[in-house]
Amino acid sequence: MQETRTDPRNPTVHDKLRRLLISQEGVLFLIMLVSVLFLATRTDKFLTVDNLLQQGRFMAEVGLIAIPMTYIIITGGIDLSVGSILGLTAIVLGWTWQELGFPLELAIITGITSGTIAGFVNGLFIVRVGVPPLIMTLATLALYRGLAEGISEARSARGYPEWFFQLGQGELLGIPTQLWLLIIAVIIFAIVLARTRLGRALYAIGNNETGARFSGLTVNRHLLFIYTFSGFMSAVAGYIFVSRVSTTRSDMGTGIELDVIAAVVLGGTSIFGGTGSIPGAIIGVVLIQLLKNGLVLTGVTSDATIVVIGSVLIFAILVNNFIQSRRNEGD
Amino acid sequence: MTDALLELRGIDKRFPGVHALKDARFDVRRGEVHALIGENGAGKSTLIKIVSGVYQPDKGELQLDGRRIELSNPREAHLAGIATIYQELGLYPELSVAENIFMGHAPKIKRLGFDIIDWEAMERSAEALLAELNIDNLDVGLKVGALNVGNRQRVEIAKALSLDAQILIMDEPTAALTESDVEQLFSIVRLLRERGVSIIYISHRLNEVFELADRVTVLRDGEYIGTHDVSNTNETELISMMVGRTIENLFPKQAAKIGDVVLEARNLQRPPLTRDISFTVRAGEIVGLAGLVGSGRSETAQVIFGVLPAESGEILLNGEAVKITRPSEAVDYGIGYVPEDRGHQGLIREMTIRENTSMAVLESVSNRSFISRAKERALANDAIRQLSIRAISPDQVTNKLSGGNQQKVVVSKWLASNPKLLIMDEPTRGIDVGAKAEIHRLMSRLAAEDGLAILMISSELPEILAMSDRILVMREGRLVAEFTREQATQEIIAHAMMGASATAKSVGATL
Repeated sequence: MQETRTDPRNPTVHDKLRRLLISQEGVLFLIMLVSVLFLATRTDKFLTVDNLLQQGRFMAEVGLIAIPMTYIIITGGIDLSVGSILGLTAIVLGWTWQELGFPLELAIITGITSGTIAGFVNGLFIVRVGVPPLIMTLATLALYRGLAEGISEARSARGYPEWFFQLGQGELLGIPTQLWLLIIAVIIFAIVLARTRLGRALYAIGNNETGARFSGLTVNRHLLFIYTFSGFMSAVAGYIFVSRVSTTRSDMGTGIELDVIAAVVLGGTSIFGGTGSIPGAIIGVVLIQLLKNGLVLTGVTSDATIVVIGSVLIFAILVNNFIQSRRNEGD
Repeated sequence: MTDALLELRGIDKRFPGVHALKDARFDVRRGEVHALIGENGAGKSTLIKIVSGVYQPDKGELQLDGRRIELSNPREAHLAGIATIYQELGLYPELSVAENIFMGHAPKIKRLGFDIIDWEAMERSAEALLAELNIDNLDVGLKVGALNVGNRQRVEIAKALSLDAQILIMDEPTAALTESDVEQLFSIVRLLRERGVSIIYISHRLNEVFELADRVTVLRDGEYIGTHDVSNTNETELISMMVGRTIENLFPKQAAKIGDVVLEARNLQRPPLTRDISFTVRAGEIVGLAGLVGSGRSETAQVIFGVLPAESGEILLNGEAVKITRPSEAVDYGIGYVPEDRGHQGLIREMTIRENTSMAVLESVSNRSFISRAKERALANDAIRQLSIRAISPDQVTNKLSGGNQQKVVVSKWLASNPKLLIMDEPTRGIDVGAKAEIHRLMSRLAAEDGLAILMISSELPEILAMSDRILVMREGRLVAEFTREQATQEIIAHAMMGASATAKSVGATL
C-alpha cells in the first residue's frame, strides 16, 4: 500500500526503484542483507545452502501465523492466543489419535478444525460482544492453553507413522516440505491483501472502522473471518510443529505469539492499524530467524543472542521511522 | 489606531505538490479585530500556522513592533505574545480549569527547599483572569472535561491571556458553539479589543465578520487579494473577492419533475430520537429535514441507513417493504448516505481519492475478487472531472484536500453506487462558498436530470428554503410539521423547530 501514498504523476523507473528502496520493506530488506553478510564473515557455517534451508524449516510455523497476524494488526486488532491455539491443535491431534483411536488422517482434520473453531470463538466475541481483541485473546491465550493441558494430562503422544513426518521433516525437490507451504501461502495471501476487495476492506477498517461501516462494508463479517483464519493458520502451524518434532506436548507454541507480533511489526505493519504488508512481515520473520541462527553459530551465548536481536529490532524500527518520517515530511 | 503590531510580507510557502502561499501579506494593528477569510484551501490555515510558529515560511519576513522576528516553533510564538485558540485541542480534560490555565507556568512557592505549586495563588489568579473577561459563572476547580464547548473555549482564552498574549488567533471559534455561547464569545472579543489585544479572526461566516471585525483580508489560492475596512465593504464584494467571480445564484435550484415515491417510512421507531416517523421522498424530489441540533434528524437518517436499525416500523423502497439492519444492506438497496461527520464517518482520510471513491462499489471495479486499479482510477478520474475536485491525482490522500473537496469525494463515492435515494446530512457544513454552490448545483442536477430522490438534513435555514421541494421539521424525535416549498418561510420553520411556545428567532444567514 505504501506506493499508493505518494504522488505518482510521472514515475520514472528511477523513481520507482528509489521508492521501493526507501519503502518500509526495502529498508528492512537492506538491514537483513547487511546482517547476513556480516554473519557470513564471522562463520562459514552460516551462509550455506543446507543451513539456510534448515532455517526455512524452523521459520515456517512463525511465518504461517504471521500472515493472519498481519491481517489482524492491519485492522487495528491483535491475536495473542495463536500459540495456545497451536498447542491445543497439537494436543487434540495427538489425543484423538492415541487415546480415542481416530485414524491419523481424521485426527489431523479434527485438530485443525478445533484450532479453527478456537479462532472463530475469538472472532465471535470480538464482533458480537464487543470485547477488545487484546482482552479477548489474552483470555483465550490462557483458556486454550488450559484446555490443552487438561486434555493431555501432561502425557505426550508419540510413535507416529513414517508418512506423518513428511510435512515437518521431509523434503520436496530438495526443499523442506513446510517451506513450500509457507512460500505458496505467502504468495497467495500477499496478493489477497494487496489486490482484492478483502484486502482493501481490511485497510479501510484499520484506518477508520466507522468510515468503513458507513461505506457499506461488512466490517463484522471481515473481522470474524480474519480471527477464524488466524485460528486455522495457527492450527496448520500446530500440525507442522508436531510433524517436525515427532511428539505432542501441551506446551507447544508457548510464546510464539510474541515472535510473530515482533516480526509483523518489524515488517512495517502499524500496531495502530491501517498500514502493513505480507512481504514486510515475512522479511521480519526471516530477519529474526537468521539473526537467531547466525548468532548461535558465531558462538554468541543464547542470553547475549536475545540482547542482540532486541537491539537490532529497535535499530530497524528507528531507522524505518526516521526514513518514513523524512518521506512524509510536509504532509 | 497605530501602525501595524505584526506584519507579514512576501510570505511564500510550498508543500510537496502545493504552493500554499504565494507572496502573501497580512498585518494586524494594536487593538483591532482583523478577519481573515477565503475559501478552504486559500491558505488561511498555512498563514496562521506561520504566525503561530508551526510552519516557517520559505520566503518573506515577519515583523513584530517594527522588528524582524523569526518563529521557529510554537513556543517562540508564545514568548513573542502570540497565542492561538484551538477547539479543545489545547486542554487537558482530566485537569481543573485553573490547572489548565496555568499549565506550564503555575505560580510556585518554596516549601522545605522545594519549589511546589502554590495551589491557592493559582486558583486566585485563575479567578482573577476569568473575572477580567467578565466570566463569573465558571468554577476554577471543575475538571475541564465536564465543561461545555463554550466554557472550554473561555478557558483557552484565559490561558492565552495568562501568557500575556498581545495577539490572539481564533480559527473558526464559533463553529461548535451554541447561539448564546457565540454572543458571549463576541462580548469577550470586544472586551479584549478595548484592552488593546489584537485578534486575528478566521471565519466562514460573513455575518460574523461584519458584526465583529474592524478590517478584513481576503486570500484566494494562496494569494493576497485585498484588505478592506469592514465599514467600506459588503458581502457581495467579499464573496466575489473570495471566489474570484460573482456568484449570481448561491442556491441554484432547477425545477424537477417529481416522480413516484422512492422511499416511504412508516411509523419508524427507535427512541429516544426517532419516534413514530412517517414520510415519503419521491423521485426527483429534494426533501429538506429541518430541526434543532439534537432533534433526531441524523438519527432518523441513520435508522433508514441501518446504522441504528429501527425497532419497529416499516421502510418501503419503490413500494416494496425492505428490512435494513446494517449499512451494507442499505447500500445494496440503493441508498447512499453522506454523513454529517465527514472526517470520521464519510471518508477514510488516510486513504486516497481513488480508494474512497470506490469504497461503496468495490464489486463493480473488480474482476471477480480482484480490484482493477485501472477501473478504479477511471472511476476516480470521472469523479474528479464531473465534480471538479481540486486534486493533484486520484492517488492523493484525501486528508490533504480542503473540506469542500473532501465532501465532493464523499458525494462521488455515493454517486458511483448509482443510488435511488441519497441522504445528505449537512451537505455543505464547513465548506467554502464556491464549493457550496457547486454541491448545491450538483444536488439540483441529480434530482432534476437523473430523478434522484434526495433527503437533505441541514441546520441552515437559507439552504433548506432554497434547495427543498418539501420541508419536514423534527423536534424531540418527532416529525412536527411539513411545508411545501411555497408555504415555507424562515419564520414558520424556525417556529416549528423550536415549538409553539418559543418565539421564532430569525436565524442569521450564514455562508
